[in-house]
Amino acid sequence: MLRHLFKLIWNKKGSHSLLIIEIWASFMVLFGVLSLIVYNVSNYVQPIGFEYERVWNLQLSNNQDTVGVSDKMHRIVQQIKSNKEVESLSRMSSNSPFSANQMMNGVTYKKVSISPEFFYTDENFSKTLGLPVVAGKWFTESDRVSKFTPIVINSKLKEVLFANENPLGKVIKVDDKKSFKVVGLVDKFKSKGEFASDSPALFEMLSKDDTWSTNVLIKTKAGVDANFEAKLVKEVAATLPGWGIEVSYLTEQRKNRHNLTLVPVTIFLIVSGFLLTNVALGLFGILNLNIAKRKNEIGLRRAMGATESGVTTQFLGEIWVLAALSVLIGLLFAIQFPIIHVFDMKANIYITAIVIAIVLIFIIVTLCAWWPSRQASRIHPAIALHEE
Amino acid sequence: MLINYIKIAWKVLLRHPFYTFITLFGISLTLTVLMVLTSFLDHLFGSHYPENKRFRTLYIAMVLQTDSAKTSMSSGPASFRFLEKYAKSLKTPENVAVVSNFSFSNTYVNGKRIKLNTKYTDVAFWEVADFEFLEGKPYNEQNIKNGDHVAVITDDLRDQYFEPGAQAVGKFIDIENINYRVIGVVKGSPATRLYTYGDVYFPYTAPKSNYENKSIRGSYIAMVLAKTIDDVPAIQAEFDNAISRIPKDEIRDGGHFTVLTVKALKYFDHFLDTFARDDSQKVFFYSIGALILVMIMGLPAINLVNVNVSRILERASEIGVRKAFGAPAKALLWQFIIENIFITFIGGLFALILSFVIISMINSSGWIAYADLTINFTVFLVSIFICLIFGFLSGVLPAFRMSKLKIVDALKS
Repeated sequence: MLRHLFKLIWNKKGSHSLLIIEIWASFMVLFGVLSLIVYNVSNYVQPIGFEYERVWNLQLSNNQDTVGVSDKMHRIVQQIKSNKEVESLSRMSSNSPFSANQMMNGVTYKKVSISPEFFYTDENFSKTLGLPVVAGKWFTESDRVSKFTPIVINSKLKEVLFANENPLGKVIKVDDKKSFKVVGLVDKFKSKGEFASDSPALFEMLSKDDTWSTNVLIKTKAGVDANFEAKLVKEVAATLPGWGIEVSYLTEQRKNRHNLTLVPVTIFLIVSGFLLTNVALGLFGILNLNIAKRKNEIGLRRAMGATESGVTTQFLGEIWVLAALSVLIGLLFAIQFPIIHVFDMKANIYITAIVIAIVLIFIIVTLCAWWPSRQASRIHPAIALHEE
Repeated sequence: MLINYIKIAWKVLLRHPFYTFITLFGISLTLTVLMVLTSFLDHLFGSHYPENKRFRTLYIAMVLQTDSAKTSMSSGPASFRFLEKYAKSLKTPENVAVVSNFSFSNTYVNGKRIKLNTKYTDVAFWEVADFEFLEGKPYNEQNIKNGDHVAVITDDLRDQYFEPGAQAVGKFIDIENINYRVIGVVKGSPATRLYTYGDVYFPYTAPKSNYENKSIRGSYIAMVLAKTIDDVPAIQAEFDNAISRIPKDEIRDGGHFTVLTVKALKYFDHFLDTFARDDSQKVFFYSIGALILVMIMGLPAINLVNVNVSRILERASEIGVRKAFGAPAKALLWQFIIENIFITFIGGLFALILSFVIISMINSSGWIAYADLTINFTVFLVSIFICLIFGFLSGVLPAFRMSKLKIVDALKS
């Protein structure tokens, strides 16, 4: 049966080659769009790991004021904390959750090197962001012993650096004057939002005289509104004249962050959706015409005793073989992506995209071929042969 | 003759409405996608309000510092002082504006927060960018010298902070506990024009502008306006020359970077420069773009050719009759090409209407504030040209095959 179908297709290879190119191109488009979607969906289903509701991000910039910045930061933190609307607050570096900033540094432990994202923050961070500590504890001021700076790592970083060892208490040497000591482990911290991948992260305790980390995350109590915000800004502006002050809500920043992913994906989806509708309509038309041309062949088969379903299967089978050929050519291209790790994505994302693309291609061609095939099978042998 | 061909084409179109629909759907849809896309690119990169002179403007937006081995690098906008020294001093340009990169702030009115994009600019900014002043005027050198707390705001901010449509000049706006006197109201610009978009504009000597910053890197960019577009290479040469003469000590700037790369580039080049630093990356960038374009245009084109090839056999008998009566292959070829161009133009017309609807939807949706996407003359010409290419692509191949058919074969069916 299959050999026969191949023979039928081979005999008309000229007119079929255009069809093959068309299905191949559709497959490639589907593969591209699906890779993007599978990548984002697989990230999205992973929990973000922390709570952002009711958290405000106060971004301060000292501008030309360079005198006693760290003291001023301490003072302003105490001052904000004294407001009854504030549940908890924490200082952190400029790469606050959902921001566009990134800070990567290299760390090495037993000859394994990696560049995790560094978050410089204080002891209230896990409480302010509701980031659960799964092993050990979050660092406090008492953990800072001589040249050991306490750090907390996430499980992704632990997997790379320590594999199956228990990371707690391990010391990572930075230079002669400074070493990190792991005091806690958190599970996930996807600071760039749900669509980001879970990447290695390292939380380092802010040094007392730090002047760079001027972000303050403020967890407010329920029901606090913009009136308090205006009051807060006024207060900070009075204490720190000449400083830049910007307040944003993490919920807003998360939304902006999501749009960076959602807008291009939606545009791609709409465009490729229209492309595929176009292709499907075209395929339907072509198959309809092709089958209409083969009336006498169908009449002959029916006269020789072929059943209706037999004829339908033949035409469906032909288009399936065609689709399989096109997909095979497409696979030659698509399989390169997981092999040479294009765009640094995991192989299984590409493989999933390939599988879904194949399934979709077969669904589309079957849908397009169904109606013409049914029509063909209904041709009465007497009429078909009479026309001949 | 032409009228006859078009008459035949019209009859053929009406004979099978479904196939006509498939063909027109493919053509108009592809063209719509292309036209909305070109319109959007034109919106991003073309010369529009308030950067009407963008085509003869150069942008100095990024300073790249590297060490001699090129292993580590740091990049970002320049400081005000740096641009004042090396961009403002250029002789060839008509004018040079220095403006801060975007920064943010908030203001509060009646318990409601308004997010602000703030910009610090010099006086030349108002000459390089063609803002439309609804009332008042921009700040002048005197305001800058005095460090006056004055601001130019957009109509949108006026409507939110004061009353909609109210007079704002002379009133005060409280931003981070400092009262600024409003001296002008401008029609706002779309957020996609990064260097002119803002809600409130301050003279660069206003508080928190960091114009005193002594290092090379800062938060300012320069817009260099050439007298004519032909002056552009001369300005670039003059600027490169000025940069190459910066002493080593100044480049070092207290850090370990010894190589300084700053370029005055046209808007699109400077945009590309932020993604692709060297030529191989640019080639990669262009080939990705070309690939997407080929996919968008190629798929419907193959589809069209396919439908046309299948359909043209329907008309074998007509061709046979014409050939039997002595029509040369060339005449037949022309008939089919004209037919295809005709249908493409009908598709083009639909596409024009469709894109018009989509573009006005984008403009009114508020998806981009102050969006001013238009189907302009260039976009229309491009799409007419694309229309023709499509006509030939899907017309020539099937028609060529058809006109070679033997009379006997054609008449048989």
